[in-house]
Amino acid sequence: MGLRDAWIRLVSQLVPHDERAEWVREWRAELTVSGQGMAHAWGAVSDAWYLRTEGWTMDGMARDIRTAVRGLIRRPFFTALAGITLAVGIGANTAIFSVVDGVLLNPLPFPHSERLVSYNHEAPGLGINVPLIPHSEASYLYYSEHARSIEALTVFTETNVNLVGDGDPQRISAMYATHEYFTVLQRQPLVGRAFVEGDDVHGAEPVVILSEGLWQRRYGRDPSVLGQLLDIDGVMRRVVGVMPSGVSILSEEAWLAMQIDRTAAEAGSFSYIGAARLAEGATVEMADTEMHELLLRFAESSPDQFPEGALEEAGLDSDVKLLKEVFVEDIRPVLWVLLGTVGIVLLVACANVANLFLVRAEGRMREQAVRTAMGASRADMVRQYLTESVTLAAGAGLLGLALGSSGVRGLLTMVPAELPQALDIGIDGSVLLFTAVISLVSGLLFGVVPTLGYGRRDLSLELKDGNRSSTGGRSQLRARSVLVVAQVALALVLLVGSGLMLRSFHALRSVDPGFDTEGLLSFQVGLPSAEYGSPERTIDFHRQLEERLAAIPGAELVGAINGLPLTGAKSASPMEPADRPFGEDELAPIVEHRRVTPGYFATMSIPIVEGRSLEWSDQATEFLGVVVSQALARALWPGESPIGRGIRRAGGEQAWEIVGVAGDVRFDGIEDDPLPMLYEPLVRGTAEAPDLATSMDVVVKLSGDPLAAVQPAREAVRSIDPRIPIILPRTVESIVSDSMQATSFTVLLLGIAAGIALLLGTVGIYGVIAYVVSRRTAEIGVRMALGAPASLVLRRVVGQGAVLIGIGLGVGLIGSWALSRALASLLYGVTATDPLTFAGTAVILATVSLAATYLPARRAARIDPVEALRTE
Amino acid sequence: MGTVRMTQVTALVMRAVAAGHVYGFDVMEACALPSGTAYPALRRLEKAGLLRSSWEDADEAHALGRPARRTYHLTREGRTAMPQVEAKLAEARRLLGDLPGAPTGEA
Repeated sequence: MGLRDAWIRLVSQLVPHDERAEWVREWRAELTVSGQGMAHAWGAVSDAWYLRTEGWTMDGMARDIRTAVRGLIRRPFFTALAGITLAVGIGANTAIFSVVDGVLLNPLPFPHSERLVSYNHEAPGLGINVPLIPHSEASYLYYSEHARSIEALTVFTETNVNLVGDGDPQRISAMYATHEYFTVLQRQPLVGRAFVEGDDVHGAEPVVILSEGLWQRRYGRDPSVLGQLLDIDGVMRRVVGVMPSGVSILSEEAWLAMQIDRTAAEAGSFSYIGAARLAEGATVEMADTEMHELLLRFAESSPDQFPEGALEEAGLDSDVKLLKEVFVEDIRPVLWVLLGTVGIVLLVACANVANLFLVRAEGRMREQAVRTAMGASRADMVRQYLTESVTLAAGAGLLGLALGSSGVRGLLTMVPAELPQALDIGIDGSVLLFTAVISLVSGLLFGVVPTLGYGRRDLSLELKDGNRSSTGGRSQLRARSVLVVAQVALALVLLVGSGLMLRSFHALRSVDPGFDTEGLLSFQVGLPSAEYGSPERTIDFHRQLEERLAAIPGAELVGAINGLPLTGAKSASPMEPADRPFGEDELAPIVEHRRVTPGYFATMSIPIVEGRSLEWSDQATEFLGVVVSQALARALWPGESPIGRGIRRAGGEQAWEIVGVAGDVRFDGIEDDPLPMLYEPLVRGTAEAPDLATSMDVVVKLSGDPLAAVQPAREAVRSIDPRIPIILPRTVESIVSDSMQATSFTVLLLGIAAGIALLLGTVGIYGVIAYVVSRRTAEIGVRMALGAPASLVLRRVVGQGAVLIGIGLGVGLIGSWALSRALASLLYGVTATDPLTFAGTAVILATVSLAATYLPARRAARIDPVEALRTE
Repeated sequence: MGTVRMTQVTALVMRAVAAGHVYGFDVMEACALPSGTAYPALRRLEKAGLLRSSWEDADEAHALGRPARRTYHLTREGRTAMPQVEAKLAEARRLLGDLPGAPTGEA
């Protein structure tokens, strides 16, 4: 009974006022008599809606829109100001939403992508900052054979290779993958074939599949490329197929069949990322549970790789999740924060436009009074206002869509994550719908404000009295005051957010990465392993390169490493002291190891704190010396000198002697603690089976502009071997700033948003205070004529603004305190509720907004009483 | 007062009222239409002057232990429109087969 009554009362709000009482009476009676509870109660909504919209004919609506458009055109300044304000807000939302939609909401563009999973491990106990622990050859083979909840498992690794052939040698991004790769993704080749079983077996003919882009660019879509042999990193590979564009999940342009020796699969090095397709009916949880069981059995079956207790200590466990998660988990918080931010900007924009509409409504009071006198109802007037605001919002929405779609392109160049190219980001149906909805909602939002309290006012007074109705003024003033409070509060939320990000950015900038970036140029060279297969040739190349680069004017020092800090390069193994092997229940630390040339440490200004650096004379297979970082020395020999001690791969045979200790360097990210590092010479292994570094990052320290040395560096490389390109020349400074891109991107966008909010908020405050002053000109004039000093008038007017600003700041501080947690994961070196940031931004906002009230207040204080009274 | 385009729904409602169903919910049940369809049809027909509504005497209703209900009747225009109603229904019957809400016996 109670529910039914409440329902009818609620729905009756839709029914036009003069019919409401009877409507409620009839529905109550019918529902009571029918005794069927809520069964027919839904129909009341249709009935009420019918009554509400009865008078809304297409004709009427077209007429309303025509009137609205005419009204808007008549006031071009107002229309342009309001329209542009809104369009900026809507455009920003459209741009960010299309990225959110493309990245977070849309599935990966592969058939049944809800069954594509990342199939890897996690090891939270290792305390290293890696998103996942990938596969070794052995673990891949084990899971492939035993897992039942997945249809197929593939492992792959992205790499850069030299493509040599007709024309210039080219460095391209390629994917080494097992034969199931395209089965898992369910993509068919454009021409030729995909990988087949056997392509990835040790000893099979090496094959390559090209991407459509590469096929187009380098071979002009010539189908005869199929079957040809290409020299890729010195290995001749046969082209067997071409994959259509949209298959690349990173930015790879070719796929090379990875070959695994099934009789001697390597177990210790986890370096291949696994992806799988779930079996029909299997869930992510099922696959994860099964993988967990398989991991335990796999560990039991290879005790040399997994000492007892190691699993528990490292927390090594299965990690199956949707493949898409791997790409989007880092950027997700950034995108949601940005969407929230632009949402707030739109609210501030709406508040400003509502303010403009209020001013306008004021100017139209006489017109409204005349219309009322001629029989227009309150509903007619409200409808006219809303038609006008929604028409304006629709126009602003179109403009915003144009701004947004060009904004997306700019945004994508700045997005701080490696997004799969396959993701389709742009304006699509759901983005259009989103833009339409936010335009409509903002139109209603700011359109409804001037109509509040409307009709309760005695409009006949307006006719008699011109523009001086004080009652009307008061309700308008209240609405505008609320708007000011809202604007100040919203602006503060954005200012606090950007303040926190700015402080994080500053904290990151002041972190010492462990090396000096000044004057450093870096580029990559890759040596084709076929021709540079011997230690002598590799070393010879790098010695020559060093000499020639050092001869470039301004060059001071030259060095090289296979994977510079902060570039995301990864190559790690567990290590242990040779004189004190780890017991069964101990876990060896995972150590990043790099090959370096002797000049590397000096060039990067990484101090050698003990012992010596590596020398050219150390670059030989028989030399067993290495340099360790301080963090590694501390981890293995706490409190002792490691010089002269032996270190080896956990469970390995061969030990290396430590000849020096280098300063710690932040390798993973500027915000992450330095990793334990091991620096080896270019050459390792034995004279019969040398293990050589092929791809190196060369660094050159220059006294002048590093980028000016790119061309001479290219010539230096060419003079040694014309087939070797130099890749990705850039300053080391830019590598460091790129690594902070997620932060700087958020800082930039939040800063822009906060700036817009501050500007709009200030304009809003100024408008309200100016309005108050103009309404009270006469009153102030009288007061001054009666002897009130100008300073008192000034104080009172500023005081009135200060009250509003104070309330706004209070609300804003509470809002910021509640919302800044959303930023927590993006912050570094500052807490989400940092009091200094809160206080500082509040002071800035208070100062700016008080300045905005001061201008009209000063005008009030200069009112000439005689003039003021004359206008009365 | 206005005009109304005769549709199957309005025709069904007209016939139900002509057959003596005077309450909104009775009309709805007689036509086997959902309330959200029957009511707007009643409103349209009333506005067009084919139906008129009035309220029962509150005291009499209370004596029967229920609230007073709104009743709907044909106006003179409504009665003259009945051939149109039947034509519409005949056409619908020809296209769709038997329709619900036909008068059952003399009401």
